[in-house]
Amino acid sequence: MESIADKLRFDPCQLPDDLHLLRQEVRAFLTDELQEYSVVKRSHSWEAYDAEFSAKLGERGWLGMTLPKQYGGQGCSAFERYVVVEECLVAGAPTGFHWVADRQSGTLLTRYGNETQKKEIIPKITAGKACFCIGMSEPNSGSDLASLRTKAEKTENGWLVNGTKIWTSQAHRADYMIALFRSDPDPDKKHAGLSQFLIDLKKTRGITPRTIENLAGGKNFNEVSFVDVELPADALIGTEGEGWKQVTEELALERSGPERYLSCFYLLRELIDVLKDCANPAILAKIGTQVAWATTLRTMSLSIASQLHAGENPTLAASVVKDLGCQFEQSLPGLAQELCDLEPTLEGYGVPYQQILGNLIQIAPSFSLRGGTPEIMRGIIAKGMGIR
Amino acid sequence: MNELQNMLHESVSRLFEDELDWDALTRYEKVEWPESLWDKVIEQGIDKVLASESSGGIEASWSDAYPVLRACGRYTVPLPVSEAILGQWVARQSGAELPEGIPGLLTQGFSIQESKFSLNKSIVPWGSRCSYYMAIHDSELFILEAQKQEVETQNNLGRDPRDRISGEARILDRFPTNLDNDSLLYLGALVRSIQIGGASAAALDLAVTYASDREQFGRSLAKFQAIQHHLADLAGLVASVDAIAIAACARLDLSGITDDQRNARFEIAAAKCRASEAVEKITRLSHQIHGAIGFTYEYGLHFLTRRMWAWRTEYGGVAYWGQELGKLAVESGGNEIWPIITA
Ligand SMILES: Cc1cc2nc3c(=O)[nH]c(=O)nc-3n(C[C@H](O)[C@H](O)[C@H](O)COP(=O)(O)OP(=O)(O)OC[C@H]3O[C@@H](n4cnc5c(N)ncnc54)[C@H](O)[C@@H]3O)c2cc1C
Repeated sequence: MESIADKLRFDPCQLPDDLHLLRQEVRAFLTDELQEYSVVKRSHSWEAYDAEFSAKLGERGWLGMTLPKQYGGQGCSAFERYVVVEECLVAGAPTGFHWVADRQSGTLLTRYGNETQKKEIIPKITAGKACFCIGMSEPNSGSDLASLRTKAEKTENGWLVNGTKIWTSQAHRADYMIALFRSDPDPDKKHAGLSQFLIDLKKTRGITPRTIENLAGGKNFNEVSFVDVELPADALIGTEGEGWKQVTEELALERSGPERYLSCFYLLRELIDVLKDCANPAILAKIGTQVAWATTLRTMSLSIASQLHAGENPTLAASVVKDLGCQFEQSLPGLAQELCDLEPTLEGYGVPYQQILGNLIQIAPSFSLRGGTPEIMRGIIAKGMGIR
Repeated sequence: MNELQNMLHESVSRLFEDELDWDALTRYEKVEWPESLWDKVIEQGIDKVLASESSGGIEASWSDAYPVLRACGRYTVPLPVSEAILGQWVARQSGAELPEGIPGLLTQGFSIQESKFSLNKSIVPWGSRCSYYMAIHDSELFILEAQKQEVETQNNLGRDPRDRISGEARILDRFPTNLDNDSLLYLGALVRSIQIGGASAAALDLAVTYASDREQFGRSLAKFQAIQHHLADLAGLVASVDAIAIAACARLDLSGITDDQRNARFEIAAAKCRASEAVEKITRLSHQIHGAIGFTYEYGLHFLTRRMWAWRTEYGGVAYWGQELGKLAVESGGNEIWPIITA
């Protein structure tokens, strides 16, 4: 009677009733606020950088909501944050400036940061005034992250860093980076000897980001070189040598959210409008199956939020949702093209639907790369199922 | 799972696991009607989980009954247990008492004129075995005599009877109900989604066990990344079918399927659409992982996969429910689809 599927139960989560009001408030705010934004910017969603917008969310108390009150957070439950995040994603709000800080860096610092780091930085996160980037990947270490080589050597006053990070989103304009470096060049085990560091990018010398243009012409990610970068001793986050464990926890936050299935929801909305007079049963059924998928994924995603809320560790379940969510969102632009012959266009040409489609077709390949590839996620799932 | 759900899950699973091994399933689909198993189902009151207390039931919720219905899928129970459970809920909802015996649910192929009830090739699960029929028409629940009609026997791919019934049916009883004409269709779709979840979980378990035991190239299949990825993919699909089916049950418990503005129809449509869509890949992958052995009658994966292929379209498949949801989407407009999902 032991069944693998029992390890993957997604008990339904009914959001507390009072969150309805919060949702209405966020919706009204976004409707107002986003009128002036270009549709292409909106379709970039959590990769669109807009410091002003983030500050406005901060003013309303909608950033770092789950962080402790003593550091300027709201001490809210994960559900409140979930509601704000999913509404922002669906509306195509430009959340790129605060995205990483709100999703993972604030929580990481609360868990492992020292008192100075928490007191100084968390209030900036909740105000929407701190943009964070993630320094994990390196030129020779992508999926095999633990093979990374950028080293942090202990010196008298702190650390000396040399090496290169790559694909670091927003590094050219971020305020802080949380980076994973090799602090022990010769560990017994591959996953040992790594440590996490907090770097103030505006104050630290020797760090040079070089923006890498993506295929769509976007300039978001960077190669970041570290040449004799001196970091103070207290730049270390958590425990020396425990970087892998900390990063794994951080990745759990990075992989479990609703952004893993909602990247193309804005397109689905527009597609539905474009097809409003459609009576073709096959096309309607295709739209319907997407609605069913989205509804299913939301149920699963919300269930993960409630498992996290209950203090459980849903790594397996979250990997499943990321994998399924990625399949869903990545196939939407292609499907839209099959259902409707309106051609995809570049920004500024054609109707909004065409521009959104044009943008998302081009950026969709990245959906299955950022945050870990499906091949890697399936390895994690297989391990969770006990077959690897 | 709460205590009641656990208890139901354990007792029902134990019964079906004991009673429905390969030999039994084979005998029941090739030779005989599982009379003694049906008697045990009745004896244990499994058909009455959703029935009112006055009818001898325990008035459980759909969420509580979920493990029972799922077990009907997992163990490919060759009996109209889910139909009986569903029928009892409809009776409870309408303040009706049902006769003894096997109910036949009428969701199509019938008409009523001046209190004359006629069936026209109505597809009824286990139709020839039914003691009575149930139908909902214009706010009335009809209980009909199942006798003297013309029966064309026919089985679905799972070898479960889906008989075609024609002719007049005498009205035994009628009750006012707040359920709509299509309520039985929705409820049928819900129980099939739950059963698909159960059957696909069983197929996943078989695939994992087989991949771990079978060796090729000097190691077990489960050590090959391609097979691990198939299994991970399969697990995700199974989880998705289960997740939306449980959510539909929870919504049904909360808001019913008729009165409340935010009733469970949307989730049920999504659940059946998702389950029906997922069946294609779930069956494909579980067979692929098994190689030729899975294609034999001897092995028994087919008890699951043949039923899933049949259940896919019963009570509406991807085309039907996809269109329902698609129409809802385009009629409501792009801006409204998210509020519908989150309502
Ligand atoms: C838009 C975007 C933003 C990003 N932002 C950041 C960021 O801010 N910070 C950061 O640190 N990184 C970032 N990344 C990097 C991202 O995490 C990596 O791209 C990802 O981990 C994959 O690494 P890779 O690109 O080197 O591919 P590789 O690891 O070289 O993989 C190439 C292909 O091989 C497959 N593969 C690799 N290993 C295996 C294996 N063992 N078995 C089977 N298949 C395998 C992969 O799945 C993939 O399909 C970003 C990437 C993108 C596209």
